[in-house]
Amino acid sequence: MIGNSLRLRLLAGAAGAIFVALVIAWIVMIFLFQRHIETRVEQELQRYALQLVAGFEVNADGSIAIQQSPADPRFDTPASGLYWQITGEEGTWRSRSLWDQILAPPPSANTAQWQTRFFEGPLDERLFVLERLIQPSDAPTSFLVQLALNEAEIITARDEFGRSLAIFLSVLWIVLAGAAWIQVQLGLHPLGSLRKELAALRVNAAERLGGSYPSEVEPLTRAINDLANAREADLRRARQRAADLAHGMKTPLAALSAQSRLIRQNGSDAGAMADSLDKAIAAAGAAVEAELARSRAAANRHSRGKIRVSPAIVAKRLISVLEHTEMGMRLDYELALPEHLRIPVAEDDLTEILGPLLENAARYARRNVRVAGEATNGAVHLSVEDDGPGIDPRDVAEVMVRGKRLDQIGGGHGLGLAIARELIEATGGTIALSKSSLGGLSADILWKTTATT
Amino acid sequence: MRALVVEDDPDVGPDVSRALEASGFVVQLSTNGEEAWYLGDVEDYDVAVLDLGLPRLDGLSVLKKWRENNRNFPVLILSARGDWAEKVEGIEAGADDYLAKPFEMGELISRLRALIRRASGFRTALLNIGKIQIDTRRMTVSIDGTPHSLTQLEFRLLNYLAHHAGQPVSASELAEHLYGGEEPGDQNAIEQLVVRVRRKIGSHLIETRRGFGYLLRQDP
Repeated sequence: MIGNSLRLRLLAGAAGAIFVALVIAWIVMIFLFQRHIETRVEQELQRYALQLVAGFEVNADGSIAIQQSPADPRFDTPASGLYWQITGEEGTWRSRSLWDQILAPPPSANTAQWQTRFFEGPLDERLFVLERLIQPSDAPTSFLVQLALNEAEIITARDEFGRSLAIFLSVLWIVLAGAAWIQVQLGLHPLGSLRKELAALRVNAAERLGGSYPSEVEPLTRAINDLANAREADLRRARQRAADLAHGMKTPLAALSAQSRLIRQNGSDAGAMADSLDKAIAAAGAAVEAELARSRAAANRHSRGKIRVSPAIVAKRLISVLEHTEMGMRLDYELALPEHLRIPVAEDDLTEILGPLLENAARYARRNVRVAGEATNGAVHLSVEDDGPGIDPRDVAEVMVRGKRLDQIGGGHGLGLAIARELIEATGGTIALSKSSLGGLSADILWKTTATT
Repeated sequence: MRALVVEDDPDVGPDVSRALEASGFVVQLSTNGEEAWYLGDVEDYDVAVLDLGLPRLDGLSVLKKWRENNRNFPVLILSARGDWAEKVEGIEAGADDYLAKPFEMGELISRLRALIRRASGFRTALLNIGKIQIDTRRMTVSIDGTPHSLTQLEFRLLNYLAHHAGQPVSASELAEHLYGGEEPGDQNAIEQLVVRVRRKIGSHLIETRRGFGYLLRQDP
């Protein structure tokens, strides 16, 4: 199918365009050729006319005597297609080729210059006529001098030229279409190499497109390489997360197994066993929650870049939730977020990022929580600060270690920050913890926007 | 204390009911949304525990219908999904608190007690102080019928001043009420809070009595 093949589409387009151009050239050239023939015929008839005018004399009775007629033998052959005729008041003199026919006079004839016209002549011929009124100096009246050529001679010459030209242009069309095919082959050749490299990439995810490609194809290969990098990173993250989840579940499972053993032995205090079971369940629950949060972020990732969500709106809605909690209702929330500020992530993602950060801030704040943000050159910054005791620098390092398992981090600041960090990284951002000017912890998030705009 | 527990899970529902009864609640358990809507509409409860994934009518719709009919008892949402988008949706639908599954029964009970304490802390649902009308259940403030948007902390400050309208209330007392205790620097925080509330509702409504504190005028 032409519609599915770039090569066939280019070839059909080129062949079609060349064909149309050549047909137009054929029509124009035939027209020009006919004009040229007519000019040549006119010149030839003028030459005969001058011979004719020079070769007749006017008698005293107003008749004329032809001393010398034009030399072309066609004037002497009846219905040859080449005729002359002189018309005066005393009669009409004509070439033998006209036989007993006469050429019709023009509607008006100018004495000043020769003029041409086509008309339906005798002998069922359409004639090309050159004519003029001649006023000899020794005659009282003027004579109409007419020379005519059968138009069929012009048409025949034109048609022969047209046929020859058509054959030539057809050959030219084949040559040009062949050249277009070569051009298409050369132009599409890099795509063939690309296909081979992509096949290798499909087999081995670590492969990248490394060949030398034309500048028009390079953006495509770069985009494919970026996509391959992103996919590989996704895969790596997914494996890491599967491992995290598995490890996260192992510890609580081991604890549950230990409790089961103790219950079987009947040698343990029921309250202590229940506490241990609760801890194990909480740890497993935290691991599952974190994984669910990451999955939600991953599900929304594909739409990143098209979205611009207002952090002010999201933060206000989250604060309204926190204000309903015991820990959140006693706090003063400061929003330093310009209304026009937009973050390049989905609204649900930003909600899940700011939610845990604000909850942590509310949990540890004494009186104030501040959410601030600004857009600078090529980046958007957000910060969530509190005036609480802050976090121990050693714990900061612990929390921010990439791949650190949530069950190892524990509750409090750690769990919320770890979930938020995963989501921020999944949406292409970074997070750093520092001491806030309010006195407590400041979680500073940065998204680069140049890559997504 | 009467509690309505709306939960369709055959294990969790009876478990929560038992735990609440053991803590002194009189519990009614409902296992579908339509029944819960009906019960909440015709019975008086001190608090409700509402699951979101319910048969026949989902939890959020039940909550919205209760609130549309001015059934204003405190509601705590219980849900398997712990995401913040759903928390926001729940609170915006009229919930008072939110707890994600799995949860600790002790935390659920302490949150329910806190909700009941907060709800019963208001002597009346509507307070009218001059032009100011305060809806203590919906936590909204209107001046001459025009609603004004206040944060939770700003609302609680105005509400406390309204309950003591005509009397000066000291910054220490306000800090004690708003923060549960006074710490250094709170006087300034209270002053800034009062400035913000004045900016929102009109500066002439709250007077500063030097040496005594702040006073909400009864006839502004």
